[in-house]
Amino acid sequence: MQKDLEAEFLSDFEQNQNIAHKICRMYTTDKEAHNDLFQEITIQLWKNYSKFRGDAKFSTWMYRVALNTAISLYRKSTRTIKTDDFSDVAFKISSTEYDDTEEKQLEALYKAIHHLNDIDKALIFLYLEDKNFNEIAETLGISNVNARVKMNRAKEKLKSILNP
Amino acid sequence: MDLLDKYKETWTKQVEMPCKFSTLEIYKMAHAKSSSIVKWIFVIGILEFVFMNSLYFFMDMDEAYKQYEELGLESFVLYSQILAYSILFYFLAQFYLNYIRISSTDSTKQLMNKIIKTRKTVRNYVFFNLGYLGLTMIVVTIASININIDHLNNKQIVMVVFIMMIATVIILGLFWLFYQLLYGILLKKLNRNYKELARLEKELNETNL
Repeated sequence: MQKDLEAEFLSDFEQNQNIAHKICRMYTTDKEAHNDLFQEITIQLWKNYSKFRGDAKFSTWMYRVALNTAISLYRKSTRTIKTDDFSDVAFKISSTEYDDTEEKQLEALYKAIHHLNDIDKALIFLYLEDKNFNEIAETLGISNVNARVKMNRAKEKLKSILNP
Repeated sequence: MDLLDKYKETWTKQVEMPCKFSTLEIYKMAHAKSSSIVKWIFVIGILEFVFMNSLYFFMDMDEAYKQYEELGLESFVLYSQILAYSILFYFLAQFYLNYIRISSTDSTKQLMNKIIKTRKTVRNYVFFNLGYLGLTMIVVTIASININIDHLNNKQIVMVVFIMMIATVIILGLFWLFYQLLYGILLKKLNRNYKELARLEKELNETNL
């Protein structure tokens, strides 16, 4: 039973691990902290997986747990994870023709996001992931109106950082 | 097209990490020990319980009871301890319940609320303990003065009261400082984020009024 659950979790998570990596890249600035937060997210997801039971999309559920970990639960620790082939925390752009400007743009975006506070980061992340306001409000535990106002402010902040 | 929309387009194009974690690595990570803030609050809370109660082991209780008897405080000690222990168990149960109710699948605000509540339970427990300690000190002081009232002059009585007050203030002050430091550091980020999330709600409510 446990083994089945575990196998299911591993396959679900493996397919969606990019979500966690994106969040880690937003909330941390160095590789060690990135891996550390990634590990804590993994622990939290596994700890709660038996309660998940597929009543929502795994990715939707994962947004919540991963953001909660980054915002409320995570404190940078000094532990290190042994990883053999994890050498670079960078993303590739899925363009058929390799476009340097897009990668540069993405880098600029992450850099700007690092200047935002933790809550604004979450809002911007959910915006970029194309979530609607109901989902955003529910994830953060605030009202829909509140989410809209907050989102506008966060976007304005990000814009002024990107284009001063 | 809005500036952010352009960035959003680029964002949606980012795909796989060049070196993502393997299934085995994820498996290992999932079974690693959590270092989340909740775990630390729980561990420190347990240590506080243990520390507060182990103080009794360092005292010679037989000797203490003898002194209480001499002061005529046996019944005070008995009843106050029965009360103190029932309150202690109440706090222990609360503390445990709060802790297991914390779940990272809650909404962010709910989660923060619960963490703060757990912390408050432990803090109240410690304040209760310190209050109990303070009360005992006061009662013992009064009883001691009462028994020796014929042998003490006014100046000596004032001295005893003064010394007891200073001692109580110093002990309470040290504890307060310790908690400010310990939990201040631990909860700094959480409190900041909580305020950030709660602030707008207040603003909106005020404009609606």
